[in-house]
Amino acid sequence: MGEFFAEIWTARAQLAEGLLATIEISAVAIFTGSALGLFTGIGLVYGWRPLRWLLRFYVDVVRGTPVLVLILATFYILAVFGVQFTAVGSGMFALSLFCGGHLGEIVRGALQTIPATQIDAGKSVGLRMPQILLLVLLPQALRQILPVWINTAVEIVKASTLLSIIGVGELLLKTQEIIGRNFLTLEFYTFAGLLYFLVNFSIERFGRIVERRLALA
Amino acid sequence: MTYTFNFNVIWANLDQLLSGLALGLALAFFSILIGAAIGLAAAFAATGGSRFLRGAASVYVTAIRNTPLLVIVLIAYFALPELGIRMGKLESFVASLAIYAGAYLTEVFRASLIGIPAGLIDAGLSIGLTRFQVARLVRFPIMLRNALPALGSTFISLFKDTSIAAAIAIPELTFQARRINVDTFRVVEAWMAASILYLGTCLVIAAGLRRLERHFPKF
Amino acid sequence: MNKHTKTFILCVGSLILGSGAVQADKLADVLARGKLIVGTGSTNPPWHFRDEAGNLAGFDVDVAKIVAKGLFDDAEKVEFVIQASDARIPNVVTDKVDITCQFMTVTAARAQQVAFTLPYYREGVGFLLTKDAKHKTYDELKAAGAAVTVSVLQNVYAEEMVHQALPEAKVDQYESVDLMYQALNSGRADAAATDMSSLKWFMKQNPDKYLDAGYGWNPQTYSCAIKKGDADWLNFVNIALREALSGVEFATYSASFEKWFGEAPPAPKIGFPAELR
Repeated sequence: MGEFFAEIWTARAQLAEGLLATIEISAVAIFTGSALGLFTGIGLVYGWRPLRWLLRFYVDVVRGTPVLVLILATFYILAVFGVQFTAVGSGMFALSLFCGGHLGEIVRGALQTIPATQIDAGKSVGLRMPQILLLVLLPQALRQILPVWINTAVEIVKASTLLSIIGVGELLLKTQEIIGRNFLTLEFYTFAGLLYFLVNFSIERFGRIVERRLALA
Repeated sequence: MTYTFNFNVIWANLDQLLSGLALGLALAFFSILIGAAIGLAAAFAATGGSRFLRGAASVYVTAIRNTPLLVIVLIAYFALPELGIRMGKLESFVASLAIYAGAYLTEVFRASLIGIPAGLIDAGLSIGLTRFQVARLVRFPIMLRNALPALGSTFISLFKDTSIAAAIAIPELTFQARRINVDTFRVVEAWMAASILYLGTCLVIAAGLRRLERHFPKF
Repeated sequence: MNKHTKTFILCVGSLILGSGAVQADKLADVLARGKLIVGTGSTNPPWHFRDEAGNLAGFDVDVAKIVAKGLFDDAEKVEFVIQASDARIPNVVTDKVDITCQFMTVTAARAQQVAFTLPYYREGVGFLLTKDAKHKTYDELKAAGAAVTVSVLQNVYAEEMVHQALPEAKVDQYESVDLMYQALNSGRADAAATDMSSLKWFMKQNPDKYLDAGYGWNPQTYSCAIKKGDADWLNFVNIALREALSGVEFATYSASFEKWFGEAPPAPKIGFPAELR
């Protein structure tokens, strides 16, 4: 056990770098993916018909394909078409697409539970559609989807481990590098698992707190 | 940039892709079987009278749901042998996926158990059934029906999660697509084929489940 | 804003604006860029791994630095791109990297997809023994026949491979390298069959505890790989490597070889160039 702690101390910079990369990659993917998901959800409900088809195709493909396939496909296909993404870039891109597709479907579901009469009511008081969306529909939808959104954030952090396979130096790859050097397989994989747990558990707790606040408001 | 499609390589490797798909389905099937058993036990524990069991179930669900599947898979395959637990590739992957699925299914079963009206349980007890008989004859079948849609979607996610088996070189669909990608460099075709196979399989499973749900009317 | 976020924004930007020019003259491009982009791994000592300070180290890394030194007279002008083994060919073909140096086994099939440089190492399999082993040489192992147990890393061909050297030995396959060594240390195995490079590295890491049975088989050649169709670039890399193996940069190559494998490579013979004989 003493050896393990000594090795953790030796590897502290690598572990910190990996953890930060994981958090940053996840944050960017969640942020970009949320924007994409919001747009997709709104487009699926209120969009122009060809746009709806296009978005439906995007959502179905993303939801029916494993995220690892999405990551590998993005990584290799973009390069074939001459887009020189780094591994980190294409990883974030794939995770954003993944996040956007799942959230799009969730936002669509939430928007469709809001009675259409509210749109009519909005129009009758002289609001235009974008205003109705922003002031009437989205606030209700967002409150509804918050728990699922938090869930998606946890899924993104977990999915970010798959980027180790394309060579992104996030927490899991850093862990594997450390294991490659000192062979403390059980100890370091368990330690990485613990770090992931702490990140996700914090997200979950944070979500609960926000949820309670919103419920009171 | 121009890219000329050439699907010959997909046809030439179609049997490997399909056998990869079948392997993925089999892995998902065994995982959900074992996972459902774990989930069932944990759900009864979580809704039961013992505080210790409730706590244990909650720790299990929280710990597993917040840990990446790939990390669980790597621990099971590379690290557990250090503790003397040696499993083959397939067994260790199914065990990992089952434990992972078990946590999600605990929640599914727990919600379905809570959804059973208390009156039904009282009715069972009043006609002289024991607590165990009520669990087996009343709560279990109703719970199963209530859980059917969620069980179905869990199976679909598990099937997609079998792609992670590629990380320990289990020759399922993603592994095969990656091999074609690397061997022949028909990048777009390989990933298109894999996506279509995954997507198609998910759609077929989803359609089958809808029929099954219609077949068993909801309580 | 952190570097990953920046790269991401740059990447998405390049996606929207349409991307880079077609590579025509790699040597000129690399020189103009001022650094060499090398694909390698980060989890396999002594080839490519992170040392305790978190820096990439290993024999592959040193070979890449030799090429960089040839280009810029500065071995540090290298950017390493970490890639999985199966990304070695794709990343070269799609210009993600200028060259791959990642213990890549030369095969005729692979040579249809990439251009291989001159080899810089010949890998093989050998037997690692503990110092106090019952059988201390290959001949003794072979003579012991079925009484010998060999631990080996799990692989479809592992058993066949061991039996090429010891036809009667019992073969125990393990899931990871450390487990394989543990089997040897605990006496569950009489010998561990592993890559000669790993074997040498392990002996160097643990001095005076292990023996090499003195037999190597199952040869495979390691070379760097570059994109096909650029003769100037291939020629340049080849010259840089050849002169490291047998010319002005031999001291660098030799020091690195000794650092990772615990022994010096044979010195080039002075006089008539051996490769032209």
